[in-house]
Amino acid sequence: MPRDAKPPLFEDADETVQAIHQGDIDAVVVMRGLEGPQVILLHGAEEPYRVLVERMSDGALTAGPDGVILYVNDRLCELTGYPSTRLVGRHLASLFAGEPPKLVPEVTAEASLFRNGDDTMPVAVWSRSISIGDTTATLVRLTDLSIHRRAEQIAAAERFARSVLEQATEAVVVLSPDGHITHASWRAEQLAEQPPVGRMFSEAFPLEAQNTTDAGMLARFSTESLDTMLATRPFHGVEVKLRGERNAGSAFLLSAGPLVDENKDNVGSIVTLTDMTERKRAEEQLTTMVAELNHRVKNILAIVQSVAAQTVRSSGSLENFADAFTGRLKALAIAHDILTHTRWIGIGLSELLTAVLAPYRSADGTRVSLAGPAILLPARTVVPLSMVLHEMATNAVKYGALSTRRGNIDISWRVSGFIDKSIELIWQERGGPELKAGAAAGFGTRLIDRVISHDLDGTTKVDFDPAGVRWTIAFPVGDPAAKRVAVPGSAMA
Amino acid sequence: MIEDDGYSLRLYVAGQTPRSIAAIANLKKICEQHLPGRYEIEIIDLMKDPALAMRHQIVAIPTLIRQLPEPLKRIIGDLSNTERVLVGLDIRPN
Repeated sequence: MPRDAKPPLFEDADETVQAIHQGDIDAVVVMRGLEGPQVILLHGAEEPYRVLVERMSDGALTAGPDGVILYVNDRLCELTGYPSTRLVGRHLASLFAGEPPKLVPEVTAEASLFRNGDDTMPVAVWSRSISIGDTTATLVRLTDLSIHRRAEQIAAAERFARSVLEQATEAVVVLSPDGHITHASWRAEQLAEQPPVGRMFSEAFPLEAQNTTDAGMLARFSTESLDTMLATRPFHGVEVKLRGERNAGSAFLLSAGPLVDENKDNVGSIVTLTDMTERKRAEEQLTTMVAELNHRVKNILAIVQSVAAQTVRSSGSLENFADAFTGRLKALAIAHDILTHTRWIGIGLSELLTAVLAPYRSADGTRVSLAGPAILLPARTVVPLSMVLHEMATNAVKYGALSTRRGNIDISWRVSGFIDKSIELIWQERGGPELKAGAAAGFGTRLIDRVISHDLDGTTKVDFDPAGVRWTIAFPVGDPAAKRVAVPGSAMA
Repeated sequence: MIEDDGYSLRLYVAGQTPRSIAAIANLKKICEQHLPGRYEIEIIDLMKDPALAMRHQIVAIPTLIRQLPEPLKRIIGDLSNTERVLVGLDIRPN
């Protein structure tokens, strides 16, 4: 008769009793009415410890000397996702991904525990050797580190976000979905009249539109709805000003973008106030410069046109025209070089005379002498004065002191006035051919007269002394902004 | 899956009692030595679910049941006597 055909109770009774006597077993199963079978331990009172181990929040296992798992608690089953029947009998090392932890008694190591087959979780592994009966076993405790790691990651992310905000050169604030400020960059704290964190955005940063288009845009929102909108919807490129003295005269670009968490849920927004003040100032400066350049180019063309027209009228031949026109264009070019080098700030009178008269001066400076105090000429006077000096020098070369070997010119000037400064310059020629009164009132003379009176707002006086011609010219050099903006050369037309 | 000439064994234990632990260790050792690659062990902890004792009418722990090959065989004790286990499982003739 097969052995399993009848209940084994009686047949095995002897064997069971013998086993108990021999100490081969240490637990029996008894039937307890409706409760069903129950295990009774024959040795020791390990029950309290077993319950503790079963209920502890850490995973626990016992491994034999060869590393085979002999026992696991419920928590380890939860952590690994396997029932105890799948864990007992396996080798301890097979629980871990990668290198299994080295089990040094009483030392905690970190390892990666397999979870549900392919997923892993970080665990701290602690172990200790014990003797169970005749066997040496290892107790191993595994503590889930993922919560701890998650907390560390959150703390690191928070530190990262804070340092980004602290380093941001723009005003950046983080809004909760109800419009309250939860974080603010250093620049944002500077812009706000009061500490911004904890306040509604509109309270910390009262906005005013920069222009009428944006004013209509902002006016469509009540304070509350603006706060809500900034906190919940992307918002770009509205130019605003901030009310309050601290930011008077500053312009900002207001933008907002959603802030989402790892589940892509909207948890607020990031609002940026980009300072546009410098950019707007630069744009305005560029616009002014382009207009100024346009104005100056037109002026130059007007000058060239009038110089050409006048030169044609006063030239007897094409050759004369070419000489005179080229000379005048050179004078114009020299004046523009000076203006470019001095960035249109102006130049000292002495320096201007030196540059314009350079072709006529001897190496030792004896033919043309300069004497007068240092005075800065405004940029607007540079072109007309250069033209005048060129005409005077040309006349001197043709008819005056520079037409002979021994002639010379003494140029002297003085400055009068304090705020409304003016210059009186005397051009005295000596040693030239004897002059006849009225003989030299040619085009050059007329040009000098008209440029001084029209472009320099000054006066001219010419004396045809038999010893040499003497020009006395006087013109103001006060604040050019306060003066009528002259179109140099306009009087020549 | 177990081979046709393989052994399907089920060991009933009671948590970490010394005999239970000794039985698991002894069984593992014997199988590795005498049935390499052709055995399957299922360990049932009756401390966790005593009702599982019903199926094979377990009264003493540890108890080893040979489910395959048939017929079913039973060995009570911590399996420390290897000879007795080999005989009980019909692994070696008397």
